[in-house]
Amino acid sequence: MTQVEAAPKAIEREELLTGCEAVAQAVMLADVDVIAAYPIRPYTEVMDAVSKLIADGKFFAEYIIAEGEHSQFEIVKHASSVGARVFAGSSGTGWMYAMEALAVTASDRLPVVAMVGNRALDDPGAFGVEHNDALTVRDLGWLLVWVATAQEALDTALISYRVAEDQSVMFPLAIALDGGFLTHSQHIVKIPSAAQVRRFLPPYALGKRRLHPDNPISIAPQVNEDWVMEIRKQNAEATKKVPAVVDKAYKEFEEVFQRSVGDPWLEEYMMEDAELAIVGMGTLAITAKAAIKRMRKQGVKVGLVRQKWYRPYPTERVRKALSGVRAVAVVDRDFSYGSPFYGGVLYNEIRSALYSLSSRPIITNFIAGLGGREISIAEIMKMLELTEKAKREDNRDQVMWMGVRE
Amino acid sequence: MAADLGIMSEADDIEIKNLEVNYRGIFQKTLARKICKTIVYAAKHEGKTGFSYGRYSDAPERNGIPCKYFAVVANTTEEDLEAEAGGKVEPDYVDVSIVADDTMVKGVEPWGFSGIRPINEKVALGGTLLVVSERSPLELVDFVEKKTFPYKIAVLPGKHSFSGLWVYKDDFTDVRLLGALAKISPGIVTFDSLKKTVAEKMGADRIAPLREGYESVVVKSIAPGEGITWPYVMPVLPKWNEFEEGIVVKAVSRGGRNEDFKRFTTRTMRPVIRFDTCIKCDLCWYSCPDECFDQTADGLFDVNYNYCVGCGRCAEVCPVPNTVVMVDELRFQDNGSPYAKYKEDKEAYVKWAEEKKGKTRVNYPFVTGTGLITDEVAEGDRSRVGH
Repeated sequence: MTQVEAAPKAIEREELLTGCEAVAQAVMLADVDVIAAYPIRPYTEVMDAVSKLIADGKFFAEYIIAEGEHSQFEIVKHASSVGARVFAGSSGTGWMYAMEALAVTASDRLPVVAMVGNRALDDPGAFGVEHNDALTVRDLGWLLVWVATAQEALDTALISYRVAEDQSVMFPLAIALDGGFLTHSQHIVKIPSAAQVRRFLPPYALGKRRLHPDNPISIAPQVNEDWVMEIRKQNAEATKKVPAVVDKAYKEFEEVFQRSVGDPWLEEYMMEDAELAIVGMGTLAITAKAAIKRMRKQGVKVGLVRQKWYRPYPTERVRKALSGVRAVAVVDRDFSYGSPFYGGVLYNEIRSALYSLSSRPIITNFIAGLGGREISIAEIMKMLELTEKAKREDNRDQVMWMGVRE
Repeated sequence: MAADLGIMSEADDIEIKNLEVNYRGIFQKTLARKICKTIVYAAKHEGKTGFSYGRYSDAPERNGIPCKYFAVVANTTEEDLEAEAGGKVEPDYVDVSIVADDTMVKGVEPWGFSGIRPINEKVALGGTLLVVSERSPLELVDFVEKKTFPYKIAVLPGKHSFSGLWVYKDDFTDVRLLGALAKISPGIVTFDSLKKTVAEKMGADRIAPLREGYESVVVKSIAPGEGITWPYVMPVLPKWNEFEEGIVVKAVSRGGRNEDFKRFTTRTMRPVIRFDTCIKCDLCWYSCPDECFDQTADGLFDVNYNYCVGCGRCAEVCPVPNTVVMVDELRFQDNGSPYAKYKEDKEAYVKWAEEKKGKTRVNYPFVTGTGLITDEVAEGDRSRVGH
């Protein structure tokens, strides 16, 4: 992007919006061209909100109701390849049903932006949050970011288009919102003006890769073993360029919109002198702040690290944030049956990130809040106490389930 | 929960006010959401912060099932409020519990595994249960579980509102309830801030009904022990290793009924049956979507009120006038077999049934901007009649 123009005084309005409605506002402000939709709760809320904005004449987009999630994501993939800015999304098993399309979209380097309303994977039938759905694309080239407030959902959605469509990135991107707790909870949100957004977000340009009769190209032919390694290597190298683009996008967001959006990768809360840290993603980290305030009053030096971006993984940032503490409690709102130590996904990623440090904290893991179960302030305090105990006892590989009936 | 309440009070000087709206699923969802949204906007006018949310686990809302929506207001920053009160399925306690349909005072059961819970379950010490009803607080307390501490029951005179169906049938219940709220609990939102918000977001013509709600609400203090001993046992859910693997649950046997989910708290009206005029045509038995009717030995059709959701289909299909009539649920105390009563004393039963039918509850197809039903409005004053 060229030099950012000097921003006039921000003209924003405030409205009470659900997390999904906040994302819908961003979709409108980003002037998305093609939207494909197929209902599944909690994602449905954003589909409703976007269609209402279109029906109310607030913006125009091709809005296509697919006959299933697989087609839904095929539609936006193809629309993206002809130069349309797109939006789609899903939840739980709907996201799984789209999996083939999701995999090829990443390989084809098409910057589809999607919202995942995190939902428990059926069976059993449940609408509440679990992070397993979005996590299924973590190895495919999808960029993944978890947000925790409605404001962050709107801001991150705008940033997502900027990052995904950057010429050096061109990966699909999923913004994950905790089902129920964020997708369906209404908060006062600052909505920027369309003029501000235009200054921040350049038009989508595919360049030589745009599929058009005047630009004869063929995307993704059969190649076999003669090509696959090189294609994978190309994509792997491209993911390494993402962090710099993310950093720049957040910085310019703050310049254009004249308000702070915090560190892109991690939110650190009371970490300056923390000896004990709790790490998690999404809304559970918000509740953790209340627990930390209570424990600080008791003289316990605790802090929170909320991980926002998950792909690419902010390895260095996580190492920096956690290398100084004595013990870490990782809260996983996911499960990974049969994984190392039978722990969660985030737990094993963090352990891997910290492995080569000469001085490593004790890391305990808590599987909690599955299927939308509430994680209480008292439970977070309990997790931190158990982690402190693990440190005292030098118990290094402890995985516990919190809030389960036993 | 009590432990959580204790922790809550340790939070600096943050004063958090919780409010819930008990509403009939789907029918009153827009109404409940509108009330909670307006509270958050009004709190903002006062320099407070707030947010609102629905009880997500109520989804998928089935028609008429008891559901909840919440508003949270506090004198603190958004970050602190969300840390203290965000990420919750529902609040641990509420300062005010609004009941948008008075038949819910008989108990609410959103799911079989939640149990039939008292309507005032979440009302805190000194809090208020605010019911839209044509009955007095004293009449309502006879349905409500007794509490160990004092609280209040307030009544906003009015009929159950359908101003929340897909088409917004406007009867001003939203602003009337908000006016009543400002009267009973100005600590959540004041009348002045509501007035500003309503004028700004809904239009100046809603100020009069807002004031009317403020002025017409009736409040009664309820002493500890006042109310009934709750007759329902709450289910105890099994531990993780106490049930079948593979998500296998025991199903209802052929011809049986689900003992664990009776669903009658969905009901706002029940069919009262005149067995003496019944022609045994079996249309009620055949049409009932919940299979609530059982044929008796003498060819009549008894109804099992435990499973009746009050849909009114039986009354609709019954070919004999006044034989199946839908009657306000609050006119009944139990779910016993009407046929058994009829067999016991036919004359007494018929007399009893006719008395019950005297004061019926009707879902009016048309409502007006003043909250009055159309036949109560003068001919020339139908400009605001909704459809």
